[in-house]
Amino acid sequence: MACGYLVLEDGTAYKGELFGSEADAFGEVVFSTGMDGYQESLTDPSFRGQILVTTYPLVGDYGTVDEFDQSSAVHTRGLVVREYCRHPSAMYKGGTLDSYMKRHGIPGISGIDTRDLVIKLRTEGTVRGAIVGDVDVEEAIRKVRSMPLPSESNLVAEVSCKEILRYDGGKGLKVGVLDCGTKSGILRDMRARFDVVQFPYDTPADVIKESGVRGILVTNGPGDPSHPAIAKTVVKTISDLSSQMPLYGICYGSQVIARALGASTYKMKFGHRGCNQPVKFEGRVYITSQNHGYAVDEASLDGTGLVADQINVNDGTVEGVRHRDLPIFTSQYHPEASPGPTDTAFLFDRFAKMIKEGKL
Amino acid sequence: MRKDYKKLLVIGSGPIVIGQAAEFDFSGTQACRSLREEGYKTVLVNSNPATIQTDTDTADSVYIEPLLAENVARIIEKEGVDGVISGMGGQTALNICSELADSGELERLGAVLVGTQPDAIAMSEDRELFKETMERIGEPIPVSRSVNTIEEAKEAVKVIGKYPVLIRPAYTLGGTGGGIAHDEAELEEICARGLAYSRIHQVLIEESVLGWKEYEYEVMRDSDDNCIIICNMENLDAMGIHTGESIVCAPCLTLSDKDHQRLRSAAIKVIRALNIDGGCNVQFAYNPANGDYRLIEVNPRVSRSSALASKATGYPIARVATKIAVGYTLDEIPNRITGTTYAAFEPAVDYVVIKIPRWPFDKFRTVDRHLGTQMKSTGEVMSIGRTFEEALLKGLRSLEIGVKGLDRVDVDDAAIREELVNATDKRIFVMGEALRKGWTVDQVADLAKWDAFFVQKLKNIVDMEEKIKSGLSKEVLLKAKSMGFSDDAIGELCGMQPLEVRARRKADGLVPVYKMVDTCSAEFAAQTPYFYSTYGRSTEVVPSSNRKVVIIGGGPIRIGQGIEFDYCCVHGVMALQEEGVDAIIVNNNPETVSTDYDISDRLYFEPLTLEDVLNAIESEDADGVIVQYGGQTSVNLAVDLEKALAGTKARILGTSPDSMDVAEDRRRFSKLMDELQIKQPQSGTGYSFEEARSIAENIGYPVLVRPSYVLGGRAMEIVYSTAELKTYVETAVKVSRNHPILVDKYLTEAIEIDVDALCDGTDVYVGGIMEHVEYAGCHSGDATMVLPPFTLSKAIVDEIVDITRRVALALRIHGLMNLQLAVKNGQVYMIEANPRASRTVPFISKATGIPLAKIATKLMLGKTLKDFGLSGYRAIDHYAIKASVFPFLKLPGVDSILTPEMKSTGEVMGIDEDFSKACYKALIAAGNNLPTEGGVYVTVNDQDKEKILAPVKALKEMGFTIYATKGTSTYLRGCGVETTTVFKLDEGQKPNAIGLMRDGKINLVINTPSQRSGAIRDGYTIRRLAVELEIPFMTTVQGADIAVRAIKVARSGGLGVRSMKEFHGLV
Repeated sequence: MACGYLVLEDGTAYKGELFGSEADAFGEVVFSTGMDGYQESLTDPSFRGQILVTTYPLVGDYGTVDEFDQSSAVHTRGLVVREYCRHPSAMYKGGTLDSYMKRHGIPGISGIDTRDLVIKLRTEGTVRGAIVGDVDVEEAIRKVRSMPLPSESNLVAEVSCKEILRYDGGKGLKVGVLDCGTKSGILRDMRARFDVVQFPYDTPADVIKESGVRGILVTNGPGDPSHPAIAKTVVKTISDLSSQMPLYGICYGSQVIARALGASTYKMKFGHRGCNQPVKFEGRVYITSQNHGYAVDEASLDGTGLVADQINVNDGTVEGVRHRDLPIFTSQYHPEASPGPTDTAFLFDRFAKMIKEGKL
Repeated sequence: MRKDYKKLLVIGSGPIVIGQAAEFDFSGTQACRSLREEGYKTVLVNSNPATIQTDTDTADSVYIEPLLAENVARIIEKEGVDGVISGMGGQTALNICSELADSGELERLGAVLVGTQPDAIAMSEDRELFKETMERIGEPIPVSRSVNTIEEAKEAVKVIGKYPVLIRPAYTLGGTGGGIAHDEAELEEICARGLAYSRIHQVLIEESVLGWKEYEYEVMRDSDDNCIIICNMENLDAMGIHTGESIVCAPCLTLSDKDHQRLRSAAIKVIRALNIDGGCNVQFAYNPANGDYRLIEVNPRVSRSSALASKATGYPIARVATKIAVGYTLDEIPNRITGTTYAAFEPAVDYVVIKIPRWPFDKFRTVDRHLGTQMKSTGEVMSIGRTFEEALLKGLRSLEIGVKGLDRVDVDDAAIREELVNATDKRIFVMGEALRKGWTVDQVADLAKWDAFFVQKLKNIVDMEEKIKSGLSKEVLLKAKSMGFSDDAIGELCGMQPLEVRARRKADGLVPVYKMVDTCSAEFAAQTPYFYSTYGRSTEVVPSSNRKVVIIGGGPIRIGQGIEFDYCCVHGVMALQEEGVDAIIVNNNPETVSTDYDISDRLYFEPLTLEDVLNAIESEDADGVIVQYGGQTSVNLAVDLEKALAGTKARILGTSPDSMDVAEDRRRFSKLMDELQIKQPQSGTGYSFEEARSIAENIGYPVLVRPSYVLGGRAMEIVYSTAELKTYVETAVKVSRNHPILVDKYLTEAIEIDVDALCDGTDVYVGGIMEHVEYAGCHSGDATMVLPPFTLSKAIVDEIVDITRRVALALRIHGLMNLQLAVKNGQVYMIEANPRASRTVPFISKATGIPLAKIATKLMLGKTLKDFGLSGYRAIDHYAIKASVFPFLKLPGVDSILTPEMKSTGEVMGIDEDFSKACYKALIAAGNNLPTEGGVYVTVNDQDKEKILAPVKALKEMGFTIYATKGTSTYLRGCGVETTTVFKLDEGQKPNAIGLMRDGKINLVINTPSQRSGAIRDGYTIRRLAVELEIPFMTTVQGADIAVRAIKVARSGGLGVRSMKEFHGLV
């Protein structure tokens, strides 16, 4: 395998071995503590613009299988691992992660002391970085320092569907999904319960109302929820719909719903990415799947009608809000799992109930 | 929310047996600490003195009493206990709690079970109830039927449809009595055994899922129904090999997230359905062909697996389960590792953990080494690495079976095929060899039923060997080290000495870094002082500025090296801390208290080789090293460590390695004894068979032979003739220039004595003198011992004290010393001196209340015995008897006769003011079903006939029927003891002993074997049957004597219970 480097904006360079595509990758370096589910993460649109570091040292152990994809593309710009597995278990009869990443044009780097790297990210916060070949490291670092933050672009536009998609499964209840970069797991769990209409992120409220959907789920997605392009589209749409129909937001969807109702969001130091985040909700603790770098500011909820009814047990951050009067609730985590525990899948049923009864 | 209790009782698990080892000392100790930090009054009971949990300061009251329901009830009543924790003492504690709950005794005493309730225990333990529950919640289990007879078993097979079938006895531990039947004959045999072992005489006949993968989940649940998974684990060996016998990795490596979540959700569904409050272990069989799974087993308590999961993740399962038991919810319990988060989360690890079982086949050469559904291993090692290969190679060299890693074995293709299909303990090495011989990964995987993923990892190791052989560039060296190769293994491959490799490596700047085990993959800054080595960019160890001492641990539990050494290590830690010194533990046994990260200031989870230990010492920049506490493991390192540390600031504390060498080196030691004018049995060292023979003939048979440098009397035998000596040399040991054998005069009918003493270089304190019940020749680890001596004259005791003092001073002991002496015809002989903690240190410490290991540590730091007011010898005013527990039931093919070769796995203590009562407590605690009436079968060799008369007479007077073979019978009748004569087996007539035993007519066997190893066949059959029918048997006259005393006590009934503080006058 060819030698290459992971370089960071602080000037650090880690030497490793390249796998996957031979292209260079520039992005925001983030880490996830999930111990499996690498393929789900790679294809999760929320990772758009980011280079993913897995804390679990072995990656690719069970190969890749199409059914694990969370979208039709790989959205991470690169993958950083301690050891990439060349000979995966044959149990799933899939391909290797290497060929998968080659196919998707994404580079990976193996042989990195990822724990050292994660401690750096934890200490310094999320940084810009690049996976490059055996080139001039100083030059690569300069490039990293001059690259724009991925979140400066409208990443949601890159991952949202381009036209309205309809999935009529004869469920008898039509519900919309406002697609900010949805994972297929959300569509799977929604379609199991509803006839689903999937709207591009910039669909205006009146189009949604006219479609006859009885509620809207606002999905996960990449980037900063305070991005100006989002304020004009998703946030405005939700703001218009908030008193019109039941809303449920997941992850990014949670953040934009909060913003639409007047709350604010902030960028976390290094976010929550993994499958083991404990959330306290209605007196119980749920282990949840998470992937977010922004959060709702609890103090900003005052006067919005929203209350933070779900809290992260570890750091006390907002994990979900609900409206005092309106049928609106959110979860900062992923009840659709994929990857991660399915302990909160009941939230989709709760959404269905809310739509039927008009209240939470 | 916390519930109030007046006093809580924690029940321990008793002696170490196969299937129940040190993990329950770890869980019980954690439980007590966990309760005390919440302000509860606690009581603990356990029969095993070699545990940390039986230290007087673990609980408010500690009882070392036999673990019987009636005793536990007495303690509950006496102490006013109102809550009993059932889940910390393995199957033993669970069974006692079930019994007390079922009989209504608990209710009568006004106590409740705290944590998992009796109905929940029954639901997971009773096969039928379990089946009903799983059917109700729609979780698949193998098709099965519970049966109570062999006929029903045959019917059950018809329902299942085909062989093979699994047979699982209800309510046993470690799969005792279970097996796989491939046909009706095997079904009959295994069922008969299984039914006998089951507490409720029930076995389950079950659809076979042989060859499926096995995954385990450790689940926690609190009273608010919050559920979390601590860890999942993947068995490398397929279904058919007990999880305790399997190589296991954590987390699971070959499961996709989707399937992991399926099993995770199922495990949570199960713990909810079973209504378990606390921890439980859920085992799945998983069909790799189609993704089907079956629930195999649930343990509604902490277990060996949960100890492993605790060490593998850093999540203290027993501690948290205890808090849950008293009403806390997971989000109320702080995560002490991070200090900022809570117990309500699922650990995320960023390394690979591997567990490898440690089998006793080096001791039991006649045992069938095949692995199956019954546990045979006595212990295990755990290793941590950043890659699978690294963890595996570290694990293999931790085993202390003389391997450096994936060592070569000499096998041909046929043997490889056989080993791959029918695994023994050697399979992993044979796999490596197959790959070296050009077998493909798939060929090996298919035959062994391993996922090729893991075989490929072995292939990676084998491929790296070739690279190392072809030249040791810096790049190759780094790769090899990152893959976990030891300097030793690298040296062997490229013809260098290990220390040369080390020097070369360090010159290249290749030194290990240490990563932290923190439960969270570095997501949060953690405070855990728990580390493992790897090769990488940065280390997380920052040496403290304090004075620091490394204690080398004892490694895996094995015959001869039990939990006693872990006890000593932990006491060493406590003593260092009391003196303000940082205590650093290096060890690799996941079951033990010493590897609880909460115990030491720093824990290094590492192999105990010179390389790994030196690395840890360097990482810490340690000031001192203690080698006295880890048994032979650490003693064997002493000399090399001292050499390697020369010129650094680190010193071996206490007795010098040179003194250790004097004690170990026969010639140097004999010379010293001559100088001190202490008698020794005549002896010599033979470097060839011829030399050994001439020594033996010179001294006169019988002689005791053994290889030099042994632990637990491995390959030690008494031989009576040149012919036997020849057989010994040919079969048991290889004699060579480098590996001589020691030949000692065997003192027949001598009393053997063990002494443990403390010395500070000036003064000596004799901690205890223990008289063996059996004559010299029975390994001291197996012997029944009495403290203080019960037959020795004061003059002899004085002489022993004097000898101890002189030897300790001559060896310049600083710390502990153990002596083994023999007394014959009023003469005291030195057998051996061990300048280290012995396995009797915890026993004596408990019996006398003087913590020898702690004081020894302080002596090593420079304190004197005067500082503790200790000198000379002081007998205690009560009796403590150590009885041993043997693995015969688990190991078909092993003779239960006691020899110089150690066979026991664990020990118990019987303690009482009355000698007979102490005997009784020791014997029943060791699991002997002492009869109070019925029949006794007596057959003794000629020398013993006279001596057996008194005990047999006593039994007769108590109303026992005496059965005896002709010779013994004639003798006894001649002395006026009426007996029923039975035939010897080879006479082919009835009644004979076997028939009577099977008919239940015999409740005690007294059988002293002929000392000629050739003439034991008859006796062997009877002893084996006694083992299988669990009839107590005594193989020595002295043992019979003790048994008779105990039976007298049993018939009089009404034993009291007394806490350790009461014994030591502290209350």
